Amino acid sequence: MEQKISIEIKNLVDKWKSKEGNLIMILHEIQNHHGYVPRELSLELSQMLDVPLARIYEVITFYNFFKLTPPGKHKIAVCMGTACYLKGGQDLINEVKNILHIEPGQTTKDGQYYLDMVRCLGCCGLAPVMMIDEKVYGKVKKSEIMDILSKHGSTD
Amino acid sequence: MDKLTPEAIDRIFKQNRQQSANWIKVGMSTCGIAAGADEVYATLVEEIKKRNIQVTVKKCGCLGMCHAEPLVEVCVDGMPTVIYGRVNKEIAVKILDKHVNSKALLNDYIFDLETK
Amino acid sequence: MFKKTILLKDTSFSPEDKTRDVFTRCLDYLREKQLEQDIQVVRVADSGVYGQGLVMKVLPDATLYVNLKDEDVTRVIDAAAQNKTIEGLALKKAPKQIRIVLRNCGKIDPESLEEYIATGGYVGLKKALLELTPDKVIEEMKKAGLRGRGGAGYPTWMKWKFARQVVADQKFVICNADEGDPGAYMDRSVLEGDPHSVIEGLIIAAYAVGASKGYFYIRAEYPLAVERIQKAIDQANAAGLLGKNILGSAFSLDLEIRLGAGAFVCGEETALIASIEGRRGTPRPRPPYPSVKGLWDKPTVINNVETLSNVSFILLKGSEQFASIGTEKSKGTKVFAVTGKVKNSGLVEVPMGITLREIVYDIGGGTISGKAVKAVQTGGPSGGVIPVDALDTQVDYENLQKLGSIMGSGGMIVMDEEDCMVDIAKFYLGFCVDESCGKCAPCRIGGYQMLEVLKRVANGQAKLEDMTVLRRISQAMQKASLCGLGQTAANPVLSTMKYFESEYKQHIENKKCPAGKCSALSNYAIIQEKCKRCSLCQKNCPVEAIPGSREDGFTIVQEKCIKCGRCLEVCKFKAVSKT
Repeated sequence: MEQKISIEIKNLVDKWKSKEGNLIMILHEIQNHHGYVPRELSLELSQMLDVPLARIYEVITFYNFFKLTPPGKHKIAVCMGTACYLKGGQDLINEVKNILHIEPGQTTKDGQYYLDMVRCLGCCGLAPVMMIDEKVYGKVKKSEIMDILSKHGSTD
Repeated sequence: MDKLTPEAIDRIFKQNRQQSANWIKVGMSTCGIAAGADEVYATLVEEIKKRNIQVTVKKCGCLGMCHAEPLVEVCVDGMPTVIYGRVNKEIAVKILDKHVNSKALLNDYIFDLETK
Repeated sequence: MFKKTILLKDTSFSPEDKTRDVFTRCLDYLREKQLEQDIQVVRVADSGVYGQGLVMKVLPDATLYVNLKDEDVTRVIDAAAQNKTIEGLALKKAPKQIRIVLRNCGKIDPESLEEYIATGGYVGLKKALLELTPDKVIEEMKKAGLRGRGGAGYPTWMKWKFARQVVADQKFVICNADEGDPGAYMDRSVLEGDPHSVIEGLIIAAYAVGASKGYFYIRAEYPLAVERIQKAIDQANAAGLLGKNILGSAFSLDLEIRLGAGAFVCGEETALIASIEGRRGTPRPRPPYPSVKGLWDKPTVINNVETLSNVSFILLKGSEQFASIGTEKSKGTKVFAVTGKVKNSGLVEVPMGITLREIVYDIGGGTISGKAVKAVQTGGPSGGVIPVDALDTQVDYENLQKLGSIMGSGGMIVMDEEDCMVDIAKFYLGFCVDESCGKCAPCRIGGYQMLEVLKRVANGQAKLEDMTVLRRISQAMQKASLCGLGQTAANPVLSTMKYFESEYKQHIENKKCPAGKCSALSNYAIIQEKCKRCSLCQKNCPVEAIPGSREDGFTIVQEKCIKCGRCLEVCKFKAVSKT
């Protein structure tokens, strides 16, 4: 395991070595691959780049995009941009909360769903909008959420 | 691609201006895809092959009429160029049969956008 | 083959749509006159004009007839058949939209360099590199009068000139594509629909200031835009439009993408620079401005996506054509993302100087519900709310500022009577509090305290003095915050208090939310005459606040009710009222 981490990090560091200010881009690649930034990788990265772990965590925790815990299998992102908010985005969040019994930022106990509240997916014309994994659903009605969720996995 | 010369840029610019063609454009930005444009695109490609129609389907960006996505713009010989909105698989097939083949516009789906 | 096509649509707001009746009459008439082979009439979903009664448009001449009476219909057909126009009836109307930034969006394949060049792409760059000196390019921008489209409207040429004047071994250009305003997405559309126009603009900017390295700073939330820009950069590299000795000139430029990571504050120039440097995206005091001391302390020009797309247009078509559009101080066009309660939500590109009313009604088609517009919000979390009586204001940087709002990146949210202004202010301020980086106290603490006050207003627990508190904190934030985010965060609160003071007072003094949005101030009750005693509300009430039985009927106990609205939703007989 440890060796695997080292190789992965080494490849990344090699790829970005020549570029200045590469930390955020490396973190993006790690998260893309793992779905979050595991602590072991941050530790390894800190040694390879010769920057304190605190500096890496400072960056990870500043940006909303980076996660420190593994997300659920499916990511539900409910848009709370202005247009979606006006058209009932909050109702959608509440409904998902009711069905899955989780708050935004949490994962269901079975690890199936992760709920996120996001700022504008850029589909304001289709408001209110929610996204599950890569699939965007527009003009969502509260009553449709159960159906949408069940398309992606179990809702028990 | 070969390196472009300044002359090549001018040539492509002038050449293409006179080009007319039979084409169908599908708006494939995030909003279009969210509304189902990828399905419409796939249907068009498949049905055109099946029917052996001489028309190219192209992916394009967003025209801005998000409320009417997915948008499909159709330009075929002898017909005015029009934009169809809220297109689904069924309407995509109708566009091919009626508009492209029978040269008659479809009722109730055209969105007329005025710009300069 | 048809000689003429007539588009038909009843655009009146009345529920009895006459389109189908008129359509049948048209068909009968065509048959009668044996014109079926020459003219086709087609019903359209949207004719691009609204509230103008029966509309017919004759193609290919694009003659537009509006407010037609029944007897006019056959006249229009006759005229079309004879290739004539009915003077006096035809509407002479210049299109409201002018497309510069969106010129190619939806028209070309964004993944084809050749299609972009065919529209005149990179012709402007060629002209700049081979015919103009960098100073001449800056001069062109000055003549065009282009101002930054990202928010404050700073003249583009001045930014470029400052950076040009600084002597340095390296300079940078950055395209700010970290579109964070919730409700604006024009940058995403341009990046996805016409990536080369932005890249060309950035190359021209780099040439003008003398930069050898450029960055695209794009939101990671826009994966398709990232993909298209990367593809376009690769194509440009392969074609010799980027890299060493571009188009055989002495000028070289290297471009690279850097991803944002979900921090609104990174739209601010100095925070954006910190983020590209791989650090927390916190702003720093200015001066020194980035054009003097920016990325890695080198002179840096940061332009937004829309600005750069304008740049490539100006070099292609000339500054005169650009400057002929717009008002005296604000030239060219602006793209707005018109959303909210408007009928046609989407992107519109309009000349500066158009009125808000034209955008909302003539292009946007009014509200979906047909209800009256209450206000329009521009500029996102940094902007303000503009009341309906100011809709005739001409849109430009200065006018919007006078109204207490800003142009911003171009979000335009239309609100109707069902939207509560306290709730809107709370929404925007909540956004800024979430996104505050925490570096300076006015923004970090001031924003939080204001939000607490607004929550009290929305819950009916505020006092009138709280409005003074809101004004005082607003002032402190405006004056003392480090960056634009904090300085403008109070705008939504101040503008709603200015134009809708009575609505605030209703919340505070009468404990009522006129729009019925603030749930803590609403009361739910069962309308006994409509109630069918199905007991569904009782079963769904999470706090058992609805006692009663199917025999005796149901009532809502106000003391227990938590105003969740569940009963109203589940009732199939509309027997639950909300006041």
